[in-house]
Parts: sequence; structure tokens; C-alpha cells
Amino acid sequence: MIDKDMSILVVDDFPTMRRIVRSLLKELGFNNVDEAEDGQEALSRLRSGHFEFVLSDWNMPNLDGLEMLKQMRADAALKDLPVLMITAEAKKENIIAAAQAGANGYIVKPFTAVTLEEKLNKIFQKLGK
Amino acid sequence: MSGEAHSMTAAEQGGSDELMQRIGALTRMLRQSMRELGLNKEVEKAAAAIPDARARLDYVASMTRQAAERSLNAIDRARPLQDEMEATAGALEVRWAEWFAAPDALADAKELVQQTRAFLGAVPASTRATSQELLEIMMAQDFQDLTGQVIQKMMEVIQEVEHQLMQVLLEAVPEGEEREDMQRRLRQQWASDTARNQDSLKNGPAIQPGGDDIVSSQDQVDDLLDELGF
Repeated sequence: MIDKDMSILVVDDFPTMRRIVRSLLKELGFNNVDEAEDGQEALSRLRSGHFEFVLSDWNMPNLDGLEMLKQMRADAALKDLPVLMITAEAKKENIIAAAQAGANGYIVKPFTAVTLEEKLNKIFQKLGK
Repeated sequence: MSGEAHSMTAAEQGGSDELMQRIGALTRMLRQSMRELGLNKEVEKAAAAIPDARARLDYVASMTRQAAERSLNAIDRARPLQDEMEATAGALEVRWAEWFAAPDALADAKELVQQTRAFLGAVPASTRATSQELLEIMMAQDFQDLTGQVIQKMMEVIQEVEHQLMQVLLEAVPEGEEREDMQRRLRQQWASDTARNQDSLKNGPAIQPGGDDIVSSQDQVDDLLDELGF
């Protein structure tokens, strides 16, 4: 059973998309959601606070999602934190690069509410939560 | 016009010829210096970006149209549900008010209770359906992110064209400190812009379907990850 109180960080440079993801999470019962507008801000929030799950865009200014993911995996405190990529990048090499960098899931935009729920469930299942 | 041309003095005639010659020489010089600087290639590149920009604009136009239609369709489906609930609740309320004003007829009350229960039983299905439509309207707003990314890409193209024009303009500045300074600044800006634009993994939304290297659905993403054993 997924812990609906878990703290989630939504990372995207477009406020509209952050709002959509946040609303979808709320719909699924997750209310403990925070936001960051790029990888840089996300990393500092992740390092200073307690988060259990990250949903991130790829193409963002300052620090992009892939670079953020790589830095997380290289950080002892963040290396096991699950990351679900939600991005418009639809090239196969993108998907492969994200998987190799340690992404736990990959959703390509535009996506549906059902897809998000499916991927979340799949990740938690794998993690044995 | 022709009258004026006829009355042109010989001196004026000579002046306009000279002007034409100077423009001609300037154009030749421009063309030559562009070739020497390798600018013609850059201009070609900028010109090649224009059809791509057109495809991006098409994408933006169609995405915004789709989003508007999706939202309006969802509203059209939700509105009758709301109207129906409002009308039924209103009618029941009126009848209850009447009964309370003269609470004698027990048979009337029984019927009213049954109808009220039926209404209450039907409300959750209607509100669920309305919520679904609200979700649809919310998801339709994802166009803002997708078109926003495409517009950002277009701005890069415009920047590229701007660089070409700046470089051409620079050729008109007399040689000296000012020109060198401008050249240096332009080069720096160019380097930082192209560095930012040359990440092959940052392409934004696929504006046209197709291509072996691009996935067109979430299923294809999942299949690829499965194949790779992730």
C-alpha cells in the first residue's frame, strides 16, 4: 500500500505543468507536494528537506532534469530517491540516457492521468512499498 | 514622376548614377566579405531554419486549437449534468415546501420521499462525471508547456538570424577599436548561445510524427525500457 502522506517534489520550469501534475497527484490522494522550477532549485530543496519522491521535467534552464538526476545519483544522501521523468523529449536516445542515469520511470508528454497513476504504482511496486 | 525625371539636370543625373554605382559596389563588397568570413554558410543555415520554424508554428496553432476544443467539448458534456441536478433539486424543494405548508397528505409525502432518495442516489454519478470533465479541462492545459517549449526553440532560430544580421552590420563599421570591440562581444554572445542550443538531448516536443529515433506513444516508451531491461 502506497503511503499517501509521502513528500513529493515536482520539478518543471512551466508553472502550468507543475499545477497540472500537482492536481493529478491530489486526485490520486497525494497532498504533501512541493515544487521547484529547475534542477538547481530542486537539488537545494532535496538537500535541505526530506523528500521521498521526485517527478521531474527534462528541459529546464540552469540545471536540466538529466543533469539533476546524475548529481542525485552521485550524492550519497539522494542516490536512492526515486525519480520519475515527465518530459516532452521523445527521442529514443533520451529515454535510454535517462534510464542509464538512474531514472525510475519515463513519461512522455502529453500524458494522461491514467499513465501517471500506472507509473507511480509500478515504481512503488518495484521498490516494494 | 516622369515630368520630374525629364526636368532632371545633368548634375543630378550624374549624382544618381554615382549613387547606383556605389550601391552596386557596396553590395559586391558585402557579398564578397560574407563569403570570406564564411557568413554565406551561416545565412544559408538561417534560411534553412525557416521551414522548420513554419512547422513549429503549425504545431503551436494546432495544439492551441485542440486544447480549446477539448476544453469546450468537456464543458458541453458537463453542463447538462449540472443543469439536470439543479432542475431536479429545485423541483423537489418546491414540492417539499408545499407539503410542509400543508403536511396532511401522507401518500404525497411517501412519493416525495421516494423521489428524493432516487435523486440523492443519482447525484454522485453526475458529480463524478462532472469531475471527470474538469480533469479533462485541466489536462487540456498541457498545451501551454508543449507550445511554450516549441516557441522557445523558435526564439533560438530568431536569435540565429539576428546574429547573421549583426555580423553583416558589423562589416559596415569602419575598422578600428570600436569594430574589434563589437566583434569580440558578438563572438562571445554567439558562443554562449550556440553552446546552449547544441544539446542533442534537448529538442522539446516532437512537432511531426515519424522518424525511427522518435517514440510516438507512452507504449513505445514502455516497450523500449522493457527491451533494455529497465
